[in-house]
Amino acid sequence: MTATLLSRDQQHRERARTRRRRMVSSEHFAGWAFVTPGVAIILLFGAVPIVWSAVMSFQRSNLLSSSTPFVGVANYQRMVHDPIVAQAIRHTLIYTALFVPGTMIVGLFLAVAMNRKIRLLWLYRTAAYATMAISTISEAIVFIWLFDPSYGIVNYALSLIGVPAQQFLNSPSEALYVIVLMTIWGWTGFAVVIYLAALQGVPQMLLEAASIDGAGPWRTFRRVTLPLLSPASLFLAVWLTINALQLFDEVYLSTQGGPLNGTTVLVYYLYTQAFQNFNFGYASAIAYFLFLIIIVVTVIQFRVGRRFTHYRS
Amino acid sequence: MARHRLYVTLAGLLCAATLVLSACGTDSSSGGGGSGKGTTVQIWEGYTAAEAKAFAHLIAEYEQQNPGQKVSSLYVNNDDTLQKVLTAVRGGSPPDIAYLYGSWAPNVAQIPQVVNLSTVVKKPGVTWNDFWVGERDVATVNGKVIGIPALVDNLAVVYNKTLFAKAGLAPPSPDWTWAQFQADAKKLTKASSKQFGTAYVTPGTEDTVWHWEALLWEAGGQILTASNKKAAFDSQAGLASLNSLRTMAVTDHSMYLDPTDQAYTNLFNSGKVGMLVTGPWDLSSFTSVKYGVQIMPSYPGTGGGHQTISGPDNWVVFNNGSAKVSAAEKFILWLTAPAQVKYFALQTGELPTRQSVANASGFSQQVDTALPGASAFVQNLANVKQARPQIPQYPKISQVLGNMVVSVLLGKSQPQAALSSAAQQVNQILAGS
Repeated sequence: MTATLLSRDQQHRERARTRRRRMVSSEHFAGWAFVTPGVAIILLFGAVPIVWSAVMSFQRSNLLSSSTPFVGVANYQRMVHDPIVAQAIRHTLIYTALFVPGTMIVGLFLAVAMNRKIRLLWLYRTAAYATMAISTISEAIVFIWLFDPSYGIVNYALSLIGVPAQQFLNSPSEALYVIVLMTIWGWTGFAVVIYLAALQGVPQMLLEAASIDGAGPWRTFRRVTLPLLSPASLFLAVWLTINALQLFDEVYLSTQGGPLNGTTVLVYYLYTQAFQNFNFGYASAIAYFLFLIIIVVTVIQFRVGRRFTHYRS
Repeated sequence: MARHRLYVTLAGLLCAATLVLSACGTDSSSGGGGSGKGTTVQIWEGYTAAEAKAFAHLIAEYEQQNPGQKVSSLYVNNDDTLQKVLTAVRGGSPPDIAYLYGSWAPNVAQIPQVVNLSTVVKKPGVTWNDFWVGERDVATVNGKVIGIPALVDNLAVVYNKTLFAKAGLAPPSPDWTWAQFQADAKKLTKASSKQFGTAYVTPGTEDTVWHWEALLWEAGGQILTASNKKAAFDSQAGLASLNSLRTMAVTDHSMYLDPTDQAYTNLFNSGKVGMLVTGPWDLSSFTSVKYGVQIMPSYPGTGGGHQTISGPDNWVVFNNGSAKVSAAEKFILWLTAPAQVKYFALQTGELPTRQSVANASGFSQQVDTALPGASAFVQNLANVKQARPQIPQYPKISQVLGNMVVSVLLGKSQPQAALSSAAQQVNQILAGS
């Protein structure tokens, strides 16, 4: 209020003085002191490798010898002519397109089923979240045996309904889908937790109003609950997509990219280029290409998602 | 669910580098290594369980015998050692000695800090020729000795004695052939009880490839030409070896195909697989079945005879100044001397890296008590007659060969077509760099 009475010049001086005071005020200093170690660690272990690999993507580097000549965009050009990169992009996109909606649908279904007063609710909720807590390696081993062509229970179940035995992980065309199922199972717990939290935030009032207006349960779900869950859905879609595009663990632990490159996804391919073929420059270029894909996809998701997302004020 | 594994790895690499930097910083300031007194040798190894215990015992013995010499060992998962060594080298402070896979040797040879041991191994008392020829081949890149053999193994046939008896088959004899192997596998296969004659791993990695390479050599073939300039496996021998695999996997269905590299040991240990071509490292997990070990069968009339393939690993010395290097050389020569090799083999069931130890009277019985069946693998070391091509392009070639073998096993290509296509790709790789 007093500021309005002061001249512009005085205002300037006043502001500068407060700024200076703020800088040295002990509270401010303490804040920075607390944050600095964290920031330093993030810069060292986050920013430095990011910048380093960017530089490496323009070099021919095997990390072995000390000569790392700059090769311009040769590593990026090489990607265009590499048939396995094309395959890996296709596998990554197919995987993402199936995994993200799959996890969200299964997660939403389970969350809705668990969002009511039923007996042993704690047990179901724990079971759903346990999929998150179980290590990826145990998950992979269990799925390897479930889908074993000769001894697996899945082929046994299929034989009961007259479907011939499938090759699953031994088939270049089926293996990727087994990995989709494996990872949907592994991530369901995460989606359930997010959706359960969001469901708790749906006001009872609106649901009652809908039912008084004569809407059935399905209609209430579609017209009231689902729109109110949209911020959670957008978050899940973005988060799961970023993770799906970086799929690595499950492939590494089960098929190692095989059979016949049937499960080679981008991150797995760049891993083989870097740590088996010692093409660190080329691997860095693939990593940056993946980074570009992730940015583009995420921006699209936010743009499109905003149109369908309702934030309650 | 750490999908950010790569970033974690990168972070870990840097972390390791910083740790090593600081560790070595204190080392050199307190060590004052110039006089040779109080030198600490840092060694990176991947031993666990019985091996770790035996290794610690040996270090203690060495330190006792050599007052003032210290050996500090650091456990590193063998699969990750090269990545970590590379980062440490970049940070200017590699370990003094590291355990590195033999398959990395051509790439390791490009690291400027790797010490050339060519003159060291000629010193009196080392008797370099006492190491198996397969080991020496892998430790030598372009005439330069880049490491001392740390481990040696090979492939032989491990078979289930009970299943052989049940099928009315005689146990395999030392002069058996691949035709007999195929016939036995067929008889050991029972669709009703889901029992297979044999198994093969199909991720298409080097594990897929080296099993086939042994067959190729036995059929009288070669992977590359003598100068390593062109593919040589697209031959009669190549065809014979792939046909053997195809017959079992596609025609007879007597071969369990393991897409993950993890299932076959469990299946053998559950009595579901009759024969496995595998190495001594698997023996300790076969606790529930009665097994025997026989050398690999041959292709009669090809001149290849009975062969096997070996995957030796090396102790590689890095240059951290002359005092450190001489201390490291002294320790590593002691560690790989016959007495220590014998001790380690008997404690762990690992194959002796020296011929004099293997051939000493009574050793076979002793090693069989440590690990039943291990003596057959020891004798099989004599059948290691060649090594994989020692060239930096080998990892890329291995990927092509892996796809070739898998495509035949899965019935996706005919052997001849697979050979021709793979040979063309390998020639391109060899011409490319």
